[in-house]
Amino acid sequence: MARYGMAIDLGICIGCNACTMACKAEHAAPTGIFWGKVLEKEVGKFPAARRIFLPVLCNHCKNPICMEVCPTGATHKRGDGIVLIDYDMCIGCRSCMEACPYGPRAFYEGNGNYYPGQQTLFESAKQDFPEGIVMKCDFCVDRVDQGMDPACVQTCPTECRVFGDLDDPQSELSRLVAEKKARPLLPEKGLEPSVFYIGG
Amino acid sequence: MTARLDEFLIGVRHQREWGWLVITYLFLGGAGAGLFLISLYIDHAWAGVLGLLVVILGTLLLFLDIGRPERFWRAFLRPQTSWISRGCFFISLLIVFGGVHLASQLLGPGFLRWGSETFLGEFSKAAAAGAAILVMIYTGFVLSPSPAIPFWNSALFPIIFFAYSLLAGIDFLLLSSPVLPGPSVDLIFLEKTQTYLGFACLLLILSHLSVMSSSAVAARESIRLLTRGRWAGLFLGGVIGAGLVIPLLLAWPIVGHEVRTIFAFTAALALLRLFGDYLFRFLVIRVGLYDPLL
Repeated sequence: MARYGMAIDLGICIGCNACTMACKAEHAAPTGIFWGKVLEKEVGKFPAARRIFLPVLCNHCKNPICMEVCPTGATHKRGDGIVLIDYDMCIGCRSCMEACPYGPRAFYEGNGNYYPGQQTLFESAKQDFPEGIVMKCDFCVDRVDQGMDPACVQTCPTECRVFGDLDDPQSELSRLVAEKKARPLLPEKGLEPSVFYIGG
Repeated sequence: MTARLDEFLIGVRHQREWGWLVITYLFLGGAGAGLFLISLYIDHAWAGVLGLLVVILGTLLLFLDIGRPERFWRAFLRPQTSWISRGCFFISLLIVFGGVHLASQLLGPGFLRWGSETFLGEFSKAAAAGAAILVMIYTGFVLSPSPAIPFWNSALFPIIFFAYSLLAGIDFLLLSSPVLPGPSVDLIFLEKTQTYLGFACLLLILSHLSVMSSSAVAARESIRLLTRGRWAGLFLGGVIGAGLVIPLLLAWPIVGHEVRTIFAFTAALALLRLFGDYLFRFLVIRVGLYDPLL
């Protein structure tokens, strides 16, 4: 069985947020909610000041603390390592959001349409979220099941994202992680994330 | 819904998911269970009734807080890993066994087939006491196991929550004693107990701050917010000063002495301590910070 993961090369990322928008378009995430986004920070001092970018998404951890604290079993992990939320089981207690150090989850209170009170054709076709639940990146599980890459990976104009099987030592992802000494975020938390970062 | 600017910055991040409903639940749930526990110790059934009512009130606030209250029963499904799930069982056990125990005491031996002196009567009392202790403690475990928020990630939290819950429970008893039916309450005994408990809370909080001061970046920032930053006035003045130190200094003279005290005096101290207790839980939730990702 595969264990899906991703590597993101921070030396290549230009912070264009194409991944953020591709994710919004793919999932029609409600207004103000981003399943994937690009964080930024200003470092250094003038005249050597610069901005650094950090694309973030659910890390689909090998030891997902969100799954452990979930009181209903709504958060679950597939055999291929993708961590998902069953919207029909979620009670919206937000304990998963408190427990995750990476911050990719969002609580959907409702009324997340672009035009308040009415859905666009796009939203009515794509949005199937009940109100009062927690949502997050699902690694574009529907696309992955059809053999495609997640939308953020396919969209990135600099090709800084690589998606693949971490358990396959021959995969491009595994080779990148090994050769470029890619590291996950906050490895000291012990959650063994499946998203790795190169450089930065 | 609008996204906050700091959601897009690399740095220490505030938790914003749990607000005043959860904070008030932490306060009322702990205080109610503490009141119930002390009612068993002093054998005061009506104080136990009040304790259960306070726990139920707090639990109702949790219903209001969750996104899908009609699915609340699903929160019982994962006690093997989730402390929230375990807490649901603890609260249920407290209400069921506490209710049975109080019914046997208040409605007389004719109400149930067993009296309070029989094995089943003793069992329901012991089970209710155990459940009350677990309700007082488990909220500390809800916060402490996660590595995400370093300030909460402390083994001391369940102990602090237990001590504060008992402190608040006894304060509820002190304040309600004039209107509670049943036997009179020994104010001096309770006030002396509060002095020792308040001292223990003070030591525990200072120990927690001491441990956290050498912990992760976010924990140190939490301490800065509490001692020198935005929340310093409420923490130092409210939690430490008004909630613990002032009641300790005022009540210290009666410890170890057989003196008379008046209700107004103990009520004033109880109000100060309850104010500090609520503030403590408010600030613990408010200064929950996540470590920066880089």
